[in-house]
Amino acid sequence: MADRTWILLVGDNPFHGVSHLSQERARGRGDEITLPEKASHLVRTALDNGADGFMFSVSDTTLSILELISGSENDELPDLYPLVPYAYEYVRLATQAGGISGLGRRFARQLLSSRNFKAIAMGFRGVVAMDPATLLKAYLGYEIQRIRSSTGGKGSIRSILLHEMIADMALALNLDWLFKSYIDFLKELKIRPGIETRNFAYLVDRFQEWDLDPKGVLIAAPFNRLGFQMNPSREPCERALEQLGARNVIAMSVLASGYLDPAEAAEYIKKLPNLTGIVVGVSKEKHASETFRLFREELI
Amino acid sequence: MGRDLRVAVIGLGKMGLLHASILNSMPNIEVSALCEKSFLIRRIFRKIFKEARLVGDVEKLSSSEIDAVYVTTPIPSHYFITKDVYLRGLTNNVFVEKTLGANLPQSKELCEIARNCGGINMVGYMKRFSVTFKKTKALLDQSVLGHLKSFETYAYSSDFASENTLSRSASRGGVLCDLGSHIVDLALWFFGDLDVESAVMESTNGSGSEDTADFKVRSLDGLEGHFEVSWCKRGYRLPEFGLTIRGSNGTVRADGDKVELDLEDEKTRWFKQDLDDKVRFLLGDPEYCREDEYFTNSISTNIRPEPSFDSATKVDHVIDQVRRRATADG
Repeated sequence: MADRTWILLVGDNPFHGVSHLSQERARGRGDEITLPEKASHLVRTALDNGADGFMFSVSDTTLSILELISGSENDELPDLYPLVPYAYEYVRLATQAGGISGLGRRFARQLLSSRNFKAIAMGFRGVVAMDPATLLKAYLGYEIQRIRSSTGGKGSIRSILLHEMIADMALALNLDWLFKSYIDFLKELKIRPGIETRNFAYLVDRFQEWDLDPKGVLIAAPFNRLGFQMNPSREPCERALEQLGARNVIAMSVLASGYLDPAEAAEYIKKLPNLTGIVVGVSKEKHASETFRLFREELI
Repeated sequence: MGRDLRVAVIGLGKMGLLHASILNSMPNIEVSALCEKSFLIRRIFRKIFKEARLVGDVEKLSSSEIDAVYVTTPIPSHYFITKDVYLRGLTNNVFVEKTLGANLPQSKELCEIARNCGGINMVGYMKRFSVTFKKTKALLDQSVLGHLKSFETYAYSSDFASENTLSRSASRGGVLCDLGSHIVDLALWFFGDLDVESAVMESTNGSGSEDTADFKVRSLDGLEGHFEVSWCKRGYRLPEFGLTIRGSNGTVRADGDKVELDLEDEKTRWFKQDLDDKVRFLLGDPEYCREDEYFTNSISTNIRPEPSFDSATKVDHVIDQVRRRATADG
């Protein structure tokens, strides 16, 4: 496996105040890590120690981080792997805005004020036709413009990944047409389509059933020795990975949310076929440097 | 059951969509009908649920053949819709998102109707399906803490922590029903019946909405409990629930992520990573998948599930006591 190339990505969960090991731990880190200045410093440290890119949910916090990272003329911007939409934030907004209708009204206002006329036109068509696929395209156009505005046009969006909450719901609802439309739309924009899922084996099954070729799609899914968040369990996910026939999977939760140490995590990950990279969140400078240095040494 | 179980979901807000999606992913389940009063949402979902019948009110479900109904509308409408489902004879297998009613008399009446109609009924207190709270229940059942002395429990979120969101809070039925009901249900599951001894409730924005609640309870055998509930707490991006239980042998602390057992000569900690938190299909939290599998299996096997309407009415009884006590305590 030594000749494999790996993409090592910094994840953004800690910057949103998230720890899947324990929310108590996330609160214990304090607010500093959610400040863009601190977070951008951690991303830079990870990049200096072997990370290739940044995977992030598109939010005001991460866009501010991107602005800071791209602000320095000397530094090259990392490869970008945005996840859209930031579903947890939208669930919270739906709670506050009075449900899905309230959320829709709020997004419509944001879209109109963005002056992104292409996205506005597409959004208008989506509303008139009440077509979820067209509305999704309008939303993607809006988010891509927000990312490019934050980076000043610098950096490369390597892939846009459909957030797990939407992707897994679409899987559950058998929305093959939504996946096809999403994939085709991003290919038209010359951006690699991506899908984040916590139901990897289910996704591979469905794609086969729908005759959808997953080869051109980047898939982010949990893989770790414990089988944590590998649904329905570790073995079916490993089998699905073997069957994939393409090296297009980014492993998430490789540390089982901080439960495993990086060395034992790497030991498991490097034996799996068809993985093209990993994404790891870091909350301390020491983690940012040591973790990526170790993964680079172990995997590459 | 030889054929698929046909399920209708009433209310296509976030909970309705979540349950409809999980149910749709399950083998032998057919989401055959959906009911949503918003015309716009119906128009969008017509393209998503192509094989389900989509109607605007419960009456129109009467002509559908349905084996089970999920009521996932906002809390204030649970009573009216659930009663309608039973009285129209749509089905006698009914799942209602928590809380069962908006107040105790409503829940009692729904219990009575359900008892008369028979069938399987359940309320969505999904925290019972969390691996950490299940572990806590198992520890209590094994009496590892010895004689129980006291407990403290909390339910916090930041949903309405900023001032410009508070005006919306009242429409959610109040923090006691929305968040507090989960920990009241866990406490009743763990400790049995509880009497409220004192209570303070506050409306942070002054509009009369229930935004925080602090109350003390006592069980029949003298166990004392303290509840703190707020949806205005900063630092709680997602709702969090937890409790500390003290007994003659030691202490258990549990939340959605972990369980810590602290005995005189032994300390043990289980994270959810240790407790096999996997599910057949994950959407939202694993608890939802387990809950839906359990409810539909209960129908197939005709075994009474918990938390039933009767158990959920006990939650509403405690909430009713808190409201009365808070008013009396002034």
